[in-house]
Amino acid sequence: MFDKITEKMLSAVQKPGRYTGGEQGAVVKDKSSVDIRYAFCFPDTYEIGMSHLGLKIIYGLVNDRDDAACERVFAPWIDMEEQLKKYDVPLFTLESMDPVRDFDMVGFTLQYEMSYTNMLNMLSLSKIPLRASERESLTPMIVAGGPCVCNSEPVADFVDLCMLGEGEEVTNDLIDLLKEHKKKGSAKAEFLREAAKIDGIYVPSLYDVEYNDDGTVKSITAKDGAPSVVKKRIVSDLDSAYFPASTIVPSIEVVHDRTTTEIFRGCIRGCRFCQAGFLYRPIRDKSPEVIDRQCRAISDSSGYDEISLCSLSASDYSRMRELIERLISWTDDEKINVALPSLRADNFPKELMEKLAGVRRSSLTFAPEAGTQRLRDAINKNVTEEEVLHTARQSFEGGWNAVKLYFMIGLPTETEEDVKGIAHLAQKVVDEFYKNPDKPKGKSVTVSVSTASFVPKPFTPFQWEPQNSKAMIEEKQELLRNEITTRKVSLSCHNSELSRLEAVFARGDRRLGKVLETAFKKGCRFDGWDDMFRYDLWQEAFDECSVSMDFYANRAREYDEVLPWDHIDYGVSKSFLIRESEKARNSEASPNCREKCMGCTADKLNGGVCDARCKTVD
Amino acid sequence: MRDVRLWIKKEGRAKYISHLDMNRCFTRAVRRAGINIWYTEGFNPHPYLNFLTPLSLGQESDGEPLDIRIMDDMQNDEITQRMNGVLPEGISVAVTSDCISKCADIAFARYTLVLDFEDEAKAQSFTNEARQAVNDGKLFAEKVGKKGRNKTVKQIDICAHIKEFDIKTDGETAVIDTVLSSGNDNLNPTLLVSALNGVIFKEELLHIRRKGFFKSDMTEWR
Repeated sequence: MFDKITEKMLSAVQKPGRYTGGEQGAVVKDKSSVDIRYAFCFPDTYEIGMSHLGLKIIYGLVNDRDDAACERVFAPWIDMEEQLKKYDVPLFTLESMDPVRDFDMVGFTLQYEMSYTNMLNMLSLSKIPLRASERESLTPMIVAGGPCVCNSEPVADFVDLCMLGEGEEVTNDLIDLLKEHKKKGSAKAEFLREAAKIDGIYVPSLYDVEYNDDGTVKSITAKDGAPSVVKKRIVSDLDSAYFPASTIVPSIEVVHDRTTTEIFRGCIRGCRFCQAGFLYRPIRDKSPEVIDRQCRAISDSSGYDEISLCSLSASDYSRMRELIERLISWTDDEKINVALPSLRADNFPKELMEKLAGVRRSSLTFAPEAGTQRLRDAINKNVTEEEVLHTARQSFEGGWNAVKLYFMIGLPTETEEDVKGIAHLAQKVVDEFYKNPDKPKGKSVTVSVSTASFVPKPFTPFQWEPQNSKAMIEEKQELLRNEITTRKVSLSCHNSELSRLEAVFARGDRRLGKVLETAFKKGCRFDGWDDMFRYDLWQEAFDECSVSMDFYANRAREYDEVLPWDHIDYGVSKSFLIRESEKARNSEASPNCREKCMGCTADKLNGGVCDARCKTVD
Repeated sequence: MRDVRLWIKKEGRAKYISHLDMNRCFTRAVRRAGINIWYTEGFNPHPYLNFLTPLSLGQESDGEPLDIRIMDDMQNDEITQRMNGVLPEGISVAVTSDCISKCADIAFARYTLVLDFEDEAKAQSFTNEARQAVNDGKLFAEKVGKKGRNKTVKQIDICAHIKEFDIKTDGETAVIDTVLSSGNDNLNPTLLVSALNGVIFKEELLHIRRKGFFKSDMTEWR
């Protein structure tokens, strides 16, 4: 069924199953029967991309149309890239195995700044010109979506347009428009001008950016009728929003090998460092009846024996008890596990936990994020030390003897005391273990402390904050390491160089485009993979382009500075972010959205409706 | 409750699904097919599926035996039919039978190997030399194995594992029809090819397909 060259390539790579497609549930359409062919590209490996819920939703949504086909493409691993180059084969999709460049629309989902080089690599392997300005024809139209397009300026040179916010509706709008213009034989510029009129579509080439002498942005000006501010799209009612009844079941093992159903969108917590907590507002609940029906349909059609209920903070779902009762009425009989990731142990009833009998936990994970109450208040992580210790105590009593604690280093307002506090909190968790009279004999406790470096992100109250320099981060890591006096606490620290680049690109502007291209040409790709990350090449790229990393990562911004994403509107107002930022500087926490509305104004995207205001929390 | 044997055909795209992934794949397929399968009764119950003869990544098969235990009296034909509605491309159930032969009785397996060459002349000379080498009975290959944590390299006398061997040239390809030891003393056909390559030259591309199994007296293993 494959031609000889494909067979040769596949027999030469380590995991050929990543490139063969043909899984249960994959949709292969006759290309002559559709008007628009959409290549959905995930700029990471198959195993990661196939774990992504968004891909499954968009794939189902587009393939449900009779006039369009959606096919998948993943970043080929290094061994496959070598083969593609050796045989001069352009990158192909998994379904038809046709070259990506033959598609009408090529879409990248940008989940993580460090996948940008993979996007360039995939374009290059597809033999599609990298820069939007070098592509003159209407198709392939290169589009992007995902959380990173909230500031797509660093990739603005390469993509033709971005879909801001949620894709369920805007993808269809875009396909309709492209179909119309393809039929008419429109020029690319004409199509882009029309696309810019669709809510949630951002066309970077229709905006001129000017800079001040000090390197900051002076102005961002819309032209050719493009809106001066582009608002993200949301679906207003999750119950009626598209959700696939069946899904692709990967034939090889992927990272999240289970069915996933979303239970609500948005997060009521407002932790000030967390971009997702602000990007996905306002809160919209899905009803238990609908979730239950969707879980049922997708379990039946996939054959998976595990359902994962997906959200930013599962225990904040307003009708959890009702949902779990509905689910366990059939999942127990069918030997299906219900998994609840992102559970906050502090507010999840124990007896509800016990009802999910099938839930297997290897160890307990807790994310206090900061070592002292003062700093936890400043970042608005509303978890108290007593709650951490209480949960640790419960799990030790339940027979566990391993706890993982996640922290961040380099948070705004952080002092030496806060860093040392991480070690002290870990020590208290160890002490909790020895206070337990029934502790298993001869067993020791392991508390694994893992620290990430804080990365300031757009649309958070910390978007103006400088990131700590590499030297400062390393100094703090050392301080923490010296403060840990017991071998029962193990410490691992994330690579600060990676976080630094993340910070640069998260808040970058268009001048980073040439750095990105230079780094890619030097061989940077799969930057998010520790064994592939080449900071030295990145440094060379910045030097050659005379662009300073410090300017983007380590510079404090004033509230009145024009930010590269100021023409993008994700619902949360700048004045709200400033209020929260000021509270952070005063180490003052905010109540969660359900306790008190803090006026982020994201509800205006949804006609003034925000489900955090519903008071009937079960 | 009874044991049934599904004969799994694996070809095309599906040959790139590994043995471990086949197991996962069938766990889900059986659920999708609505077949009431027996679960193990340990601390962590899981559906009982037993692929008797692992097949290497990249190889095809006319029928790999997969034993399962069903909890009701579903007929063999219905099992075949239901499974074939829910399997990924390239995998199908050729037939479902009762478990007639015992796993331990597998002694040999038949394979077809197709080797692609640049041109007919190379295919022809490979055919001649390979035939000669097998007739001479002097073919050895190194088998890399593991003993605990240590890697071991074992010299394998290939000819001692060849029951039948026939080779002919077909255009730019050499086609081998061979019966090799299987079961406990299994010989992977890639070892035969690498031994042949050692004395001759490297083929361009190799297709391997398992055709069936035999007992030690060369009667069909079912």
